[in-house]
Amino acid sequence: MKKLVLNGKEYSSRLIIGTGKYKDFGETKLAVEASGTEMVTVAIRRMNIGQDKKSPNLLEILDPKKITILPNTAGCYTSEDAVRTCRIAEELLNGEKLVKLEVLSDSKTLYPDVVQTIKAAEMLVKEGFKIMVYTSDDPIVAKELENIGCISVMPLASPIGSGLGIQNKFKISEIVENASVPIIVDAGVGTASDASIAMEIGCDGVLMNTAIACADDPILMASAMKNAVKAGYDAYNAGRIPKKELGEASSPEEGKITDVK
Amino acid sequence: MKFMDILLNQKIFSVMYNISITNLLKEVDVDSKYIAIEVNGEIIPKSKYDDYLLKNNDRVEIITAVGGG
Repeated sequence: MKKLVLNGKEYSSRLIIGTGKYKDFGETKLAVEASGTEMVTVAIRRMNIGQDKKSPNLLEILDPKKITILPNTAGCYTSEDAVRTCRIAEELLNGEKLVKLEVLSDSKTLYPDVVQTIKAAEMLVKEGFKIMVYTSDDPIVAKELENIGCISVMPLASPIGSGLGIQNKFKISEIVENASVPIIVDAGVGTASDASIAMEIGCDGVLMNTAIACADDPILMASAMKNAVKAGYDAYNAGRIPKKELGEASSPEEGKITDVK
Repeated sequence: MKFMDILLNQKIFSVMYNISITNLLKEVDVDSKYIAIEVNGEIIPKSKYDDYLLKNNDRVEIITAVGGG
């Protein structure tokens, strides 16, 4: 696979995974390893004061040499909250400027609030943040976020955690065609074929959490997703055959020993 | 010994008057490595933890990274 370049760094894996919803850190670590990912998202939250000091922090179980930490503004509903969260993430991660910007509109649909997202992106770009932005599947909004200076645009396949897969193939294709930054499908993947489809239509990567973490066997699903992303990417580059309405025989007509029907 | 109240992660804590952030972290048994701190909405860089003295009723947030999507 050709390497994916994000914020000046090359990635061999085109799968980014979230670290939420795992049973424990042991399972998180095994899933990260099985997925072959080199970038994981984390959430920014108040520390649970009084928790056992011996219990590890999530950042301790992720090898910083192998894994890029992508702090996420998940749970923010306003541009102000998202900007505040990014500034905190920068301090927390010793000056790292790479962030995933996500501003939600309501807790029922979890659809991105694109107005607030654009506002936040404009403020964060001015502060030098390198933004990978979660957004709707609107090609115009996607291009606007790119023009603002986001380093990657990440449209949803379907609502977060829904597992509905790619419901908007043509819109995602349109976004891919217009883009000059990496397009990463973020949210809605349910199973391996969804990840493959995203890559087959030319996306540069796939970001997922629930599909792996909530599978019956998260470790096996992590490995399935690794293969699915690679298969889809290879198929896209190999160039698929055109679709035809009728059959076309694979064996030659010449030298046939039976009659044509 | 004089004490004061601060609002730490939305809970009231009684701590030593003018306690430094470094000493507060010792008090609540939190390692400074994987955290960020805000006092009254302003981020305090790690380099200032020793010298930054908290005041009565300060709103302190200790923030970390947790699993998320």
